[in-house]
Amino acid sequence: MSHNVVAMILAGGKGTRLGLLTKKMAKPAVSFAAKYRIIDFPLSNCANSGINTIGVLTQYEPTLLDSYVGNGEKWGYNGVHALLTSIAPRQTDEGANWYKGTADAITQNIEFLDGLNPDYVLILSGDHIYKTTYNEMIDLHVDSKADATISVIEVDPKEASRFGIMAVDSTDRITEFQEKPKKPKSNLASMGVYVFSWKVLRKYLIADKNADTSHDFGGDIIPAMLNDGLKLQAYRFKGYWRDVGTLSSLHEANMDVALARSDLNLYNDPNTKIFTEDTYSLPHYLGKEGSIVSSIANQGAVILGNVKSSVISNEVLIEEGALVDRCVVMEGSVIKKGAKLYNTIVAPYTVVEAGAEVNLNQEDIALIGGKVVC
Amino acid sequence: MAKVFGLCNLHDAPGLGKLTEKRPIGVVSFLGRYGLMDFTLSNFSNSGIDRVGILADRSMHSVISHVRDGSIWINNTKTGSQRIFFNENTPSKKFNTDINNLLANRLHFEDEDVDYVVVAPAFFLMSIDFRKYIEKHIESGREISIIYKKVKNAKEAFLNCDSIKVENHLVKDFSVNIGRAKEANISLETFIFNFKTFVELLNHTREISSLFNIRDLVNYCATNKLYEVNAFSFDGYVAPILTFDDYCHYSMELLSCETRKNLFIDNWPIYTTTHNTPPALYGPNAEVKNSFVANGSNIQGTVINSVISRDVVIEEGAVVKNCILFSGTKVGKDSRLEYVVADKNVKIKEIKEVSGEESCYTYISFGANI
Repeated sequence: MSHNVVAMILAGGKGTRLGLLTKKMAKPAVSFAAKYRIIDFPLSNCANSGINTIGVLTQYEPTLLDSYVGNGEKWGYNGVHALLTSIAPRQTDEGANWYKGTADAITQNIEFLDGLNPDYVLILSGDHIYKTTYNEMIDLHVDSKADATISVIEVDPKEASRFGIMAVDSTDRITEFQEKPKKPKSNLASMGVYVFSWKVLRKYLIADKNADTSHDFGGDIIPAMLNDGLKLQAYRFKGYWRDVGTLSSLHEANMDVALARSDLNLYNDPNTKIFTEDTYSLPHYLGKEGSIVSSIANQGAVILGNVKSSVISNEVLIEEGALVDRCVVMEGSVIKKGAKLYNTIVAPYTVVEAGAEVNLNQEDIALIGGKVVC
Repeated sequence: MAKVFGLCNLHDAPGLGKLTEKRPIGVVSFLGRYGLMDFTLSNFSNSGIDRVGILADRSMHSVISHVRDGSIWINNTKTGSQRIFFNENTPSKKFNTDINNLLANRLHFEDEDVDYVVVAPAFFLMSIDFRKYIEKHIESGREISIIYKKVKNAKEAFLNCDSIKVENHLVKDFSVNIGRAKEANISLETFIFNFKTFVELLNHTREISSLFNIRDLVNYCATNKLYEVNAFSFDGYVAPILTFDDYCHYSMELLSCETRKNLFIDNWPIYTTTHNTPPALYGPNAEVKNSFVANGSNIQGTVINSVISRDVVIEEGAVVKNCILFSGTKVGKDSRLEYVVADKNVKIKEIKEVSGEESCYTYISFGANI
């Protein structure tokens, strides 16, 4: 990384639409693709981009996430120039404050950033699945002398009203931002990935601090910058990117990996490898009577039953005669003899009793946890 | 707890044929994920032994790249430590012994602030809690102890290992197991010494023989009645990896859930190096039975009764049966392998069939393209 960049990852969200998966942990800590947690993706992307300094802003259920981030060793951030630290809201001179919005999370850490004195700040979401390096985007930001650069992805025009949409001119300079518009002016959706020149952002954060706003990047900071005629550049991201904020999108993104049907290539891609925690378990074992097709499985799993189009995490046990079909089985779960599960996300450490049948009609994605006997 | 130094001894080890031609026994891949020495080092770690030394006889590169800075095994990296000892100035292979290694590194070894030292090899795979034996060693008031296993299959296993005669928990005699009787007390070449005694004995060894190993030294002490040597029995499972055939045999034996439970016991994790590989991927036509499959693998074909290490690719139509494939092996479309051990990065493209026999696995060399 030739530029002086600090990344700040917004990881404080609860992710209410993920039900019991986020009951005791923040969304970025939710497991993904049998081995990872969602936050491994932006963290590994930063490592692969040569970004040396990262702050992870946690708030909802921070304990697990903070200890997972640790000293950053899992992503290589224990080196001589590297710093990865999680920063939860805290009591200060000015009192005790929660992070009131995405922008406020940065505002409350202006001193942290001032201490690092970066030229540019990269703002990322802790809950998106994509593989990239940010270098091209940062280069574009620097070369185009923009005040802010926003990563955008082309979405289906019919879906555009679900996103924050950026209208651009012929040079991809952003002319207007529309939050979930009824009549979208383009199909370029914001990915919640921003590069700001720190001095400019700092000024806007201070102005926003005591203003009556929702202290949000998309809702307040970006519109204010556009309003003042600042140069905001769109960076067109090409490739796989998913916001896994709902059960169906989380399930679908997991299936993309299991069925090897997308551009999200986790294999043989040394430049954008995703790093994560290792578990001390044996390679997974496939039994004499079981089967596994169109699936992924992590170490520590024992598969004695039948697995089809599914994601099997570490230390999962699928007993004889059980069937999991289009399921995401998270770590430590046990699917006992003869149980049958379809289109289901199985929360970590769930026990599905023998003979149980889950989601037979297979209409929606089911989510189960605890002890399941049905 | 007593202050204990753990020594993982890679010297004086049996050869596993081609597998150990270019690498020490400790880093030979096992069950798709481990190096053989992981078991010894994890036993130290799980027993609360946080200061460890590795006695490397050769291939420092492969040893260091496997154990790295030791933080995989060491609990506290400030109060604990991992040292790798290697005798750079050994005049010849003959003199490259564990004792000469320690003597060459004595300045880095004798300053260890410990009371006891446990020496253990990498080729007896077991899950053993050393604390129990250290306590017994201290209680006995004696200075040297051997941990042994009473076996009932000495006719076909543990051949050429030291067999000891035990009376009242003391070693009375040493012999070599030549498979004459079913029952034998096999030395697991795992020793506990009072540290001071150990250091004195090392220095004294030069006066006896410059070819001595630690094993010979203990034998000498016991048979010449210099010391009374405790004999402590270990009742758990032991997989002796003494030959290439043993290596194949125990890899296959551990596919069985029942056997596996004896080596991989609860709350006794076996630690190893991570390689950041994704979960294994199975294609729509994959067929896999009774096998271990490590992460990073891509299985499109058939795998039966096999051990598949990290980053192995089995293409469609390929059949792998009763095989041990090391990391990075690629089995091309429609190839058939049976009773094969493929070393790292073997690529099987043109040849459509390679097979050995149950009693004689075919070995394919590191990096071979066939």
